[in-house]
Amino acid sequence: MTAAIETERPPWRRRWLNGNARRRAVTAIRLFAFAALAIWSIATPGFVSPLSLSALMTAISFIGCVAVGMTFITLTGNIMSLSLGVTLSAAALVFLSSLALGIVGACIVAVLFGVAVSGVQGIVIGYFRANPILVSIAALALITGISELVTGGQRVYPTAANFAFFKSRIAGIPVTTLIFLGAVALGELILSGTRFGRAMRMVGSNWRAAEAAGLNAATVVTGAYLLAGAFSAVSGILLAARYGSGDMELGAGYDYSAIAAVLVGGTAIQGGEGSVLRTLIGVSVIAAVEVVLLLRGFPEELQYLVTGIIVLLVIMLHTIGGRE
Amino acid sequence: MKRLIEPTLRPFTIFAGTIVVLALIDRGTGYFFSLATAFSVMQLFATLSLVALGLGLSMLIREFDLSVAGVVGLSGCIAVLTGAAHPWFGLLCGLAAGIASGALQGFIMTRLQLSSVGVTLGGLLTMQGITYVLTGNRSIAYGNLPVALGLNAPIASILSVRSAVALAVFFAAAAVMAWTHLGRDVVATGSDRRAAMVAGVKTDRVVIGVFTASGAFAALAGVLLSYSLGAASPAALSDVLAPAAAAAIIGGVSVVGGRGHPLGIAAGVLTLSLLRSGLSAIGVSPHVHEIVTGAILLGIGILEGPDLARRVIAWRLNRTQLESLP
Repeated sequence: MTAAIETERPPWRRRWLNGNARRRAVTAIRLFAFAALAIWSIATPGFVSPLSLSALMTAISFIGCVAVGMTFITLTGNIMSLSLGVTLSAAALVFLSSLALGIVGACIVAVLFGVAVSGVQGIVIGYFRANPILVSIAALALITGISELVTGGQRVYPTAANFAFFKSRIAGIPVTTLIFLGAVALGELILSGTRFGRAMRMVGSNWRAAEAAGLNAATVVTGAYLLAGAFSAVSGILLAARYGSGDMELGAGYDYSAIAAVLVGGTAIQGGEGSVLRTLIGVSVIAAVEVVLLLRGFPEELQYLVTGIIVLLVIMLHTIGGRE
Repeated sequence: MKRLIEPTLRPFTIFAGTIVVLALIDRGTGYFFSLATAFSVMQLFATLSLVALGLGLSMLIREFDLSVAGVVGLSGCIAVLTGAAHPWFGLLCGLAAGIASGALQGFIMTRLQLSSVGVTLGGLLTMQGITYVLTGNRSIAYGNLPVALGLNAPIASILSVRSAVALAVFFAAAAVMAWTHLGRDVVATGSDRRAAMVAGVKTDRVVIGVFTASGAFAALAGVLLSYSLGAASPAALSDVLAPAAAAAIIGGVSVVGGRGHPLGIAAGVLTLSLLRSGLSAIGVSPHVHEIVTGAILLGIGILEGPDLARRVIAWRLNRTQLESLP
């Protein structure tokens, strides 16, 4: 029977290995790539030094929080959001202008803002099943337009603020990094330790089956977007505290970097399969490649190109390994 | 009356409606109805329309070409770098880059049966990277001033070479879609790919062809824009995706595939261009235009949501049941 189906395929669609062997081959390629990257990194002079590793960790913290948020969107089968970058910027502006409430108050307001902005998109995508890419492009235009109108295109400076906490270190590790690692732990806990996390995976792998199993898929998708908004807002707060001011350019390009990290980590673009830990790996791999390129004296522009090619290869590799 | 809001005529109705609304705001002060406004509308049309056409065609076959933004930037930079002495050579190089990237992405998609969003996302990031490497992350000036001026010089006070080229491409695309087997195959592929395949349409070739065309259109837009601006930079052209998607959607292209027409897309682009120059002629902040674009996109996105009707019916049923309770 299987043989009959195989011969019905057009010649170019014929599988060069059967299911399990393919999967093993792809895993082998992935492990080989990791090993090669690790050896390449360690062999690069200056990579294994406290200074460079600390810089690496700080660099991935900002993008990492957004990537954790993006993971939920990809996992529930909604591919990606093009509006998380502007959500981050707008949340940073909200944080900076509500500092009169104190740092903790401002953080809460900013996170609630991110949750609200992203939640509305989640409702539209979950309950009406509107096209997620389209909705996120609409949100991108709306958030940018409204924010620029409110700020008049000016940079926003904090009224009175002390960002010392965000710049301090606890046990030698920057607070920014600790917050990012906390976000990863929280995200992984939600995803692997709760019923809601399992529901997100189910909705992502098969919407109809999830509904048939009694899940309210629309609510699950809305929840995923709420989380994405919250994690993006955290990144906005960290960036605002780091630079001491903010504008709408703060998160420019973060949506693409975040989805790149999610995909390189091995979360499936069609949803249903993936984890926050994989995203952590993805962020680290991209950052490590960039640092190695930088240390070896390659021009900065090459980083963009290498990241793009890695994403393209990973998407192709993943689908070869994952499909039946 | 009802026919006017049917999908095929809706873009033209919206376009006419926009003119009427702007005329009411204008009320004969002449700010808005002038040849200068018409010219600026057509200049905006020239920039946006070709990208919207490529994106719209990819949506028509139920795919989504995210890479148009990358092609616009890449081709613009290639043309500026290679076409200083011979503009035609630069144009050819830019077009070749767009066609090659579109064909390659279409090929990867069909051979590996991958989703278009994933592949074009990788393509977009790769092309942005190539653009950064080629330009060294700097803005590149285009020294050939006569070309820049010539492209923007008014023809018949409304058009320029740039907008005339865009219009010509639109009419050609409309003719292909309306009168050839190819157009019919594209619509069939978008409506129901499996049925089209059974009916003998070479759907893989259609997909590759549409992505190649999309790459070519985006490349043409990028080259013409960079030439006429007299500069190309890797970052400046990346904000093209939102207005292009909005224009295609207003132009009657359905995200579910199988519905849409080049002339409808043209009407969608004209509506957006009209709104932008109309609003700025009246003195409204340009960001209002962005908000309007987003609102329209969100509104149509909701209206096209396949579960909208189900939710509304369920909500109504709940209400009547509640009312009928004692």
